[in-house]
Amino acid sequence: MRESEADGGMVTAPLDPETRARFEALALPHLPDVYRLAVRLKGRAQDAEDLVQETYVKALRAFPSLRQPDRVRPWLFQILSRLVLDQQRAEPREVATGDLEELDRFSLYDLIWDEDPLPYSDNLHGDFLAQFTDEEVRAALTALPETYRVPLVLVYVEELSYKELAEILGCPLGTVMSRLHRGRKILERELWECAKRRGLVRSWNR
Amino acid sequence: MTPITCDQAVQQFFAYLDRALAGETLENLEAHLEACLSCCDRLAFSRRLDDFIKSRLPDRPVPPSLEARVRLALGRPETGA
Repeated sequence: MRESEADGGMVTAPLDPETRARFEALALPHLPDVYRLAVRLKGRAQDAEDLVQETYVKALRAFPSLRQPDRVRPWLFQILSRLVLDQQRAEPREVATGDLEELDRFSLYDLIWDEDPLPYSDNLHGDFLAQFTDEEVRAALTALPETYRVPLVLVYVEELSYKELAEILGCPLGTVMSRLHRGRKILERELWECAKRRGLVRSWNR
Repeated sequence: MTPITCDQAVQQFFAYLDRALAGETLENLEAHLEACLSCCDRLAFSRRLDDFIKSRLPDRPVPPSLEARVRLALGRPETGA
């Protein structure tokens, strides 16, 4: 037997070769999309690659119980998303959401309007956003706890419906809605804090 | 149709941008937006902010070695790679 017949000599797969081949034929074409989502959730390439590998290994184990093989793509996204959320549960971060009612009402739009940091601009809100570097925006996104970042990235990248998100995250529609609202509000607040740190706005009044 | 306040409208903006509103809720919001310039401006900013974040999400090309790495891991799922 040639070594290449069994993936470089590895013959320890617990599933029969036919099932594994079927899994690979169905799941591997989605590898670029799965990697893309992983990069957007994790940022660093190494973390994203580890996450993709873990997703596929877990998916292979669960493959025999997959009832709708035509839904393999959202199923892979679900496995990946839950891995990210589980990692957060394993290493909980300080969730700096503060008072949630206050957060829900936070308005970057109003603050920019009140502060008027660019008095000569005729496109105040657009010019305000244009001052941030890509790195600063990514740092604001990374500051989002995974509970908020996962649904937000899924909506941004995959344009999933709230119903699909509820299935992926295993939570009710109302929870999906409030996480997407609060996630965006935390992002607005992070950008405002970043603007204060950079001296783009006065910082004594908020 | 039931009139809604600016506060109520603002709380629904993200669901509106995500195309998650329907029926009477959607009609009420759209009716409010037709009459309220301030909310239209706020909504436009929320949409712009969404597009701004989306366009700056991290992105990287798929590493050429990734598929081989995953295939190898699938060959021995109990131990990982």
